[in-house]
Amino acid sequence: MKTIFMNKRNGFAAKLLTMMQAWLISSLIFPATAFAYVDPGSGSVIVTTILGLIAAIGYTFRKYYYRVKRMIVGKNAEENRQDDE
Amino acid sequence: MMNKMEIRVEANTGSFRDPVNQVYEVKPKPGSEKVRILRGLSNEALSNYKQLSAETFFRKALDAGYVVKTELLEANDKDGNTVLADGWAGVLEHIDVASVEPWEEGEPWVGYRQFCSMFLAPLMLRSYLGIDHLPILRSFIDGIPPIEAAKYFTGTKRFKKGILSHIVFPAKVENSIAKRERDDAPARQRTSNKHSKAMVLGLVQSLKRLVQKLSIEIKHTDWSQYDKTHSYQEAELDAKKAFVIKHASTTKRQYVWDIGCNTGTFSKITSEYCKQVISIDGDHDAVEQLYLKEKNNTNSNILPLVMNLANISPGQGWACSERQAFDQRRKPDLVLCLALIHHLRLSANIPNVLFLKWLRSLESAVILEFVNREDEMVVKLLTNKKEQYEDYNLDQFVAQAEQFFTIKDRESLKGGKREIFYLIPR
Repeated sequence: MKTIFMNKRNGFAAKLLTMMQAWLISSLIFPATAFAYVDPGSGSVIVTTILGLIAAIGYTFRKYYYRVKRMIVGKNAEENRQDDE
Repeated sequence: MMNKMEIRVEANTGSFRDPVNQVYEVKPKPGSEKVRILRGLSNEALSNYKQLSAETFFRKALDAGYVVKTELLEANDKDGNTVLADGWAGVLEHIDVASVEPWEEGEPWVGYRQFCSMFLAPLMLRSYLGIDHLPILRSFIDGIPPIEAAKYFTGTKRFKKGILSHIVFPAKVENSIAKRERDDAPARQRTSNKHSKAMVLGLVQSLKRLVQKLSIEIKHTDWSQYDKTHSYQEAELDAKKAFVIKHASTTKRQYVWDIGCNTGTFSKITSEYCKQVISIDGDHDAVEQLYLKEKNNTNSNILPLVMNLANISPGQGWACSERQAFDQRRKPDLVLCLALIHHLRLSANIPNVLFLKWLRSLESAVILEFVNREDEMVVKLLTNKKEQYEDYNLDQFVAQAEQFFTIKDRESLKGGKREIFYLIPR
């Protein structure tokens, strides 16, 4: 079953899954280490990509939620949304 | 027209990390009181600034006072611009606008890690765990890195809101990269995927909501309840206030330090007679109360700081000069130290002479309240201490103070249990 699942992966989602798997595995095996030649900020690329994707879902949901709410309730919903941004 | 030879331009000792801009202190003459803070910008930074200054949000922030007034100096500016323009495309007065760059489609939020290390992690340590984040932040000049922050959140603590995503996860990623690329292993190229606007704004907004929900509990302490529990009767307190007003209001001063400010009663009084009050106390909750009182006052000229006066902020960073020691920054014109000396002498064991010598080094007038041995607060401090403070009495204090200061005025308070002095440097 696992093989079939792996074969279906492609594109960006696949990369993301690989990164997440790498993280999950590494969290079990690797102990904490001190940095020497590795730039501590280099992990930010991975972190902001994954957290950004999750946040984008919430962002998009809110955007449409307030748009619908504005149609129903009126101007106040728009003010709330702007305030939230 | 000012003689160029008289202009002294010094690059600020803490301004060297960013290659596209640098801060300068311009003095018309050596030893001049007047100092202009200017910022030189590269072509790239100047172009960014011009774009930024046309933006509505930036203008709004300027008008609301969230951003320090910023101006691009004219080429014929008399005060040092001709000197500073060498090597720079333009010169600005004040604020670090060079940190604001236009976002381009596909770019990630490059400040994310820095934001988490400098602001989010310390706030979470304080809010979730009640840990005093200030001594930790003092050591980590670039903020608390995720790997260090994650060590505090063990067991179920890591399930508090935002910890797994913004602390534990980044720490795991950084640890795994460090492990994979240690020793002879070559560094891997990490190319960023395109980040959509929704990804960037979503991340910023989620952090904004997270920070807004973080709060701290102010515990009842003698200090933060001082306004209600101080040892003065109303009439005596009025006499003390009158003395402070009498000497604080003589001239319009620039900077006043209120050291041992507590909840800022006297900072507030003095703030009417000067440009800015720097209010300092070692008690977080007392300063927090002052901060909350001033937070919504857009015209506030009080800057509340939490600092242990027996251990003020030292020179830090590169060559100990990237961050100047607190007492090496701009000097005050008046120092209030009201009911502070007994804490320094009896709790921190700092001899009065050393304290007075340090006060004298500030080259400023001083309003000092001496708390005598008979005062109930001193009695309380000495109750369970071995008596080794024979020198702590009014006569000795006056003799010591006169080594460094001229006593211009003095008044007895609380029926002789306290004495308030107005001191001028000798």
